Amino acid sequence: MNKSIAILLSALTFATFISCGDGDKSEDMDLMDSVKTEEVSNSPVSETFFQVPSPGEMLTFIKMVGGKSNKNISFLNPPSNEKNYSDSKSKALNFGIYSCDLSYCSIFEIGSESLKYFKTVKILGDQIGVSTAIRPEILKRLEKNIGSPDSLAVLTDDVYFSSFDALESSKQGPTLALVVAGGWLESIFIAVNLAKYEENSPLVERLADQKYTLENMIEFLKKHESGAGVADVRVDFENILSEFNKIAEKNAGASTVDAGKGKMLDGGTQLVMTKENYDAIVNKIKEVRNSYTLTK
Amino acid sequence: MKKILSIFLVTFIVASGFAQTSVCGQYHKKYCKFEDDKGNAWMYNAQSKSGLFNQGMVSKLRCVIYKGMDYRISVCCETIIGEKVNYKIFDARTNEMLFDNKAAEDTQVFEFQSVSTRQLIIEVVVPQGATEKDKHKAADAACVGLLIEHKITDKQGFSNY
Repeated sequence: MNKSIAILLSALTFATFISCGDGDKSEDMDLMDSVKTEEVSNSPVSETFFQVPSPGEMLTFIKMVGGKSNKNISFLNPPSNEKNYSDSKSKALNFGIYSCDLSYCSIFEIGSESLKYFKTVKILGDQIGVSTAIRPEILKRLEKNIGSPDSLAVLTDDVYFSSFDALESSKQGPTLALVVAGGWLESIFIAVNLAKYEENSPLVERLADQKYTLENMIEFLKKHESGAGVADVRVDFENILSEFNKIAEKNAGASTVDAGKGKMLDGGTQLVMTKENYDAIVNKIKEVRNSYTLTK
Repeated sequence: MKKILSIFLVTFIVASGFAQTSVCGQYHKKYCKFEDDKGNAWMYNAQSKSGLFNQGMVSKLRCVIYKGMDYRISVCCETIIGEKVNYKIFDARTNEMLFDNKAAEDTQVFEFQSVSTRQLIIEVVVPQGATEKDKHKAADAACVGLLIEHKITDKQGFSNY
């Protein structure tokens, strides 16, 4: 009995150190020397978690900076493609992609398409294990709110967040990583289909800033790359990142404007994307995304 | 020996921190709303997270914040001294400390904008304090919630959007 306990304790200790090591190592690689630095606390650190903003945040931004009247759906992944996804990797990736397309239709007030994309999200959701998060009554509420874009956006946000929560609480980390990857990639794919390169364009700046989100996304994928297909997606995303890494940086400096009630965080860097950077990133994004949706 | 094994198992489970979301679920959505939002357009940010932690443990979350946006971070914890949760915000690249709530009367809510888009590391230290043992967790473990919200900065601010 004592021997079994000793073996179990050793195994658990080993697993704990493996788990903790990942987070610290990747973080150390990202940290650069700075004149004004403070040691992060010496207390025991459990793990570092890498978070990724939702696709809806990007889409809302696109609408705000000039896409209010846009109704273009030609570049979305057609619902009819759903039947082509037979393995777990493509189901999870395209669940993320279709969820983003659903958000896009809701945010840009393309109500009739929202219903089609919801049905597709529901089909794939049932297959990847988030059926409890996408309840049939949501479809009824979508139908009822078809003329109310704000309500539609809230409902489709709920679908994304509920699916995220369901995968997280059922400990389906690799599936979650693929879903988040698909959603992020589609939001950028939509952005590059709607944007055109202009210096100082807010949308082009926001695209350049995706470098930081992509770095977090890759760390998130690394944590789950034992799952089927996750390592392949990580490699694809690292190829995209290599294009983002060519963007020049300059110091952002200090703000001269009052931040009102809140505090202004000065400093950091600003990314300066050239037309050449932009074209290379757009090509890479399109290549990877279309390889996932099996779109030629 | 069985007692030692039980303690070790509980410690192992708790050590996974934010990964143990099933115990704490969406704690941040339920308990980290401190302010009345009437008239404000704060939107839930998907980078929010809850987790179960050992008291005295440090946990870190790396997130991305964009320029041209207002952010509000609310940290909460279920311990009796939960209102005294300590958290610090660092620039992930330079390790420069940008905010420490100890220097701001232990505030649990922090509103800010950033001149640049950047990665932040939010470091939360779970305080030592009394919690009630239940069937899901040990007495010295606590749920911690980190709620991130955002909204578009008003035009009179620094944003040119």
